[in-house]
Amino acid sequence: MATRLSSVLECRSLGFSYSGAAGTADVLRGVDLSLQPGERVAVVGESGSGKSTLLHLAAGLETPSAGYVWLKGVELGALSEGERTRLRRSQIGIVFQAFHLVPTLTALENVALPLDLMGLATGRALQARARTALAEVGLADKVERYPEQLSGGEQQRVAIARALVHRPALILADEPTGNLDSATGESVFRLLLEQVAATGSALLMVTHSDALAARLDRTARMVDGRLLKADGATAADPA
Amino acid sequence: MILLLKAWLRDWLRHPLQRLLTILGVVIAIAVVLAVDLANQSAQRAFDRSMLEVAGAATHQVLGPAEGFDERHYAELRLAGWRDLAPIVEGPLRLETGDSVYLLGVDPLAEAPFREAAAGFGEIPVQRLLTEPGTVLVPPAWLEARNRAGEAEVPVRGVSGTYTVAAIPAPAGAAQGQIWVADIATAQTLLGRLGRLDRIDARLERPGAEVELQDALPPGLELVPVGARDAAARELAQAFRINLTAMSLLALLIAAFLIYNTQTFSVLRRRQVLGSLQLLGVGRNPILAVVLVEALLVGLIGTGLGILLGIGVAQGLVGQVARTVSDHFFTVTVTAVEPRPLALAAVLALGLGLSVLAALAPALEASVQRGIGASGRVALERRSHRLTGYLFRTGLGLLALGVALAGLGWGDLVGGFVALFVLITGFLLLLPRFLATGLGWVAGPLANRLDSSLTRLAGRSLERSLSRSGPAVVALTLALAAAIGVSVLVGSFRVSVTEWLGVTLTSDLYVVPAEPASGRGGARLPGEWVGLLSGWPEVASVSTGTNQDVVSDRGLIRLFLLAPHDDWLEHLPLVSGRDPGLGTRLRDTDAVLITEGFATHQGLTLGDRIEITVPTGSRPFTIAGIYRDYSHPGGTVLMRSDRYHGGTAPGFHSMGLRAVADVPVEGLESRLADWLRDRDAVALITRPDTIQRESLEIFDRTFAITHLLRVITLVVAFVAILSALVALQMERSREYAILRSTGLLPGGVSRLVFLQAGLLGLFAAVAAIPLGLGMGWVLIEVINREAFGWRMDVRLPGLPLAENLLLGIGAALLASVYPAWRLARMPVVPALRMES
Repeated sequence: MATRLSSVLECRSLGFSYSGAAGTADVLRGVDLSLQPGERVAVVGESGSGKSTLLHLAAGLETPSAGYVWLKGVELGALSEGERTRLRRSQIGIVFQAFHLVPTLTALENVALPLDLMGLATGRALQARARTALAEVGLADKVERYPEQLSGGEQQRVAIARALVHRPALILADEPTGNLDSATGESVFRLLLEQVAATGSALLMVTHSDALAARLDRTARMVDGRLLKADGATAADPA
Repeated sequence: MILLLKAWLRDWLRHPLQRLLTILGVVIAIAVVLAVDLANQSAQRAFDRSMLEVAGAATHQVLGPAEGFDERHYAELRLAGWRDLAPIVEGPLRLETGDSVYLLGVDPLAEAPFREAAAGFGEIPVQRLLTEPGTVLVPPAWLEARNRAGEAEVPVRGVSGTYTVAAIPAPAGAAQGQIWVADIATAQTLLGRLGRLDRIDARLERPGAEVELQDALPPGLELVPVGARDAAARELAQAFRINLTAMSLLALLIAAFLIYNTQTFSVLRRRQVLGSLQLLGVGRNPILAVVLVEALLVGLIGTGLGILLGIGVAQGLVGQVARTVSDHFFTVTVTAVEPRPLALAAVLALGLGLSVLAALAPALEASVQRGIGASGRVALERRSHRLTGYLFRTGLGLLALGVALAGLGWGDLVGGFVALFVLITGFLLLLPRFLATGLGWVAGPLANRLDSSLTRLAGRSLERSLSRSGPAVVALTLALAAAIGVSVLVGSFRVSVTEWLGVTLTSDLYVVPAEPASGRGGARLPGEWVGLLSGWPEVASVSTGTNQDVVSDRGLIRLFLLAPHDDWLEHLPLVSGRDPGLGTRLRDTDAVLITEGFATHQGLTLGDRIEITVPTGSRPFTIAGIYRDYSHPGGTVLMRSDRYHGGTAPGFHSMGLRAVADVPVEGLESRLADWLRDRDAVALITRPDTIQRESLEIFDRTFAITHLLRVITLVVAFVAILSALVALQMERSREYAILRSTGLLPGGVSRLVFLQAGLLGLFAAVAAIPLGLGMGWVLIEVINREAFGWRMDVRLPGLPLAENLLLGIGAALLASVYPAWRLARMPVVPALRMES
């Protein structure tokens, strides 16, 4: 049986709500989820169902209103913001629908940034690792381009390279093909799967597409803030 | 960290205008602060040098009557065994070009212990003073400025005619300052002091020597410490410079708002970058660091350029400052600005500190920002609105404190300025709340009444950009209020001076020496002229006046000796002491009048006594009245001339003639001119309106610098509001794109932008009125009174208020031209794709 110590990501009774002008809104209710190393899980659901909120909580970007999140056995709620930040940058890579590349850095510099922040490499070694990562996503000839000089598909490739360059334990992908046409989206999605497999990272991907979700190991459906398995049961454990 | 800095700073290349505006604000503010400081310091050093050169190394001075004393007293003191003494004759000397210089007549044989000019005794130039009458040592810079190397023959106008002196450069290593030095005999001839001395310098280092020398002096001579002579002039000149410095600091304050505004906008505009960095795991401190490093760079570039500009501006400003000091306090000549490393370092620290401090709030905001999308912007505006309440309460507290400080008074000039700045800050903190309320009214009820959706849009857009519009409005309000405050001060002052001149210049003609007068000596007109001219049938009466510095128990004071017309007291603007017997008391008893300024500076009132040295010795005089006068910053004591001299005065500085009724003044003037010509008298005839005009010219010159600084603060405020409007419009590009896509024409977009700018300008202009009037009141009733003791009635500046209103709206509209043009031409589709 999988335990939280062996899991990459473990969520128990996770809940999130916020107060607005119209009162309190529950975005997530009692979410249980577990990811093992190398496992690829898709989360599907309608807009506003809480999928992205789940990703934010998993990344430690938000603090849950209820429940717990463990990342590599470490409970995020027990950490300070600085500790959460350091854990996130070393253990997680994030790929967004809108790419979110730093517009004032070249493709090479964008990919090198996580390594630089963690001090994993400097100078030429830093550049070499970044170049290798870009070559692996097919952009060896575009390392000096700025994001606005790249197509959407190319920007997402850079984002994938950036997310994986430091070999994180977990990849969070929020609609990674949402801004791409179907052909480009397909090639980016395949690239994402290849790279995840190459690094052995776990993958938690939010998507609207049931077709894409079906190509992963497991699918969970988010309905009104609750997480269900594809067969309608709650998606607590893989087995 | 390098990558973080690259990510942050490369934005400069993409948005150069924003960066340029921020740097420009810093450049102007630093330039004006440095220019004023350099001009002040240079004038101060020139002033100190003048004082030093005049006093040399003397510790004390023996002074007598202002017209000088018998030179035999010096010989008697030397024969009595007093060695460290040096005789001096001094006074202003007019060159043929019309310029004035200060001439010091010395005995080179006695001067060695006293003056650097004689340090080269034995060198040729100093020997020539002794051996060649008519030789004068002049500052080498004076000769160089007139393209004369080595010696030059210079025509000068002495008291009794025109002379040509041989001007030779002062020896190397000697004082290179402002004074011309001649042998005492040459000076006595040029200044009309044959057989007389103005003072004797003494260096008394032995304990008890001061008392011994005082006892050895004959009646009519007093021993005073050197510092006493300069203290009043130094204090007043310093007050003038403090006023200038305070004005320059206003420009700095406005620049701070500019930096805050542009830094906030630049952080907000890069929130996507911030969000990406935070998602990648960049912590708070590195983000705080990069934002502050950027601010530091802005400060460094802006300050560096500001220093260069400031030195250039100072070169132009120093002449103005020196001229004002010379007009009112003591003759100084400044030929160049001398930036000192310490002053430059202080300005550099100021510029860097200002930039970092102004950027601190946006930097902290950036470091705690969460999320990439619109929530950052919305959250900021929500916080801004909440902050207005806190600022309002703080502002009320500061206003109360400022009123208390101004009302109670700290008793000094700096305290007055502190009260003023507290009041200003308190008022400005109220503005964001008023702005939010006012905009809400524009966005709602007014728009409904006008049935104008554009108006509603304009108001609502500004209301929701309070974090942007607030600081810009505050900056413009401050600049406009400063303009109003200065208008109130200068306008009230000018009216008061004009009225005073009109009331006190009661003669039809005035006669003054052609040579410059001074408080100690200077040219005089012969006393017998009074009797001669009084006998003319065209002349109804003659009055005389003499200004001189005399010794008193309050130190050296300015004494005005008056032989008045009969009805003089009816025209004198007395503020206290007016009673039917006043004229008799002043004529028959030891009574004097003092000016308001003198009363304030000396802490005197009616009935107090002051001991004044007159030709027959020192006597106590009772203060019988206080009157309003603007002729001398330190204040004046007025005494009847016959009371001082014990009879007819031997000479005087000016004479006033009243024509008999029905006698044309032109005819009298013509006869008088002929009479003076027949006597080869070096005198000028002038009319009251000429005196009034020249006096007001000096007045306007004095405030020219203040007006210049006012313009500069307006320029900085304009840059601030331009920057804010550019930021506002760029941030709201998506909104404008939506409006365009739903049917608003490009002209409509421009109108919307102009409407927003006009609202901001109108608000700032209206808010500036109460603040400006308050500033004017404090400047008149607290600061000016403390600095100079002058009192005046506060006059509301009708026209300047209206001008200010137009200026505020105009500046805002002008600043909106570029953003309006740009938004009207903006492609709609890319803007629609932008996140709001």
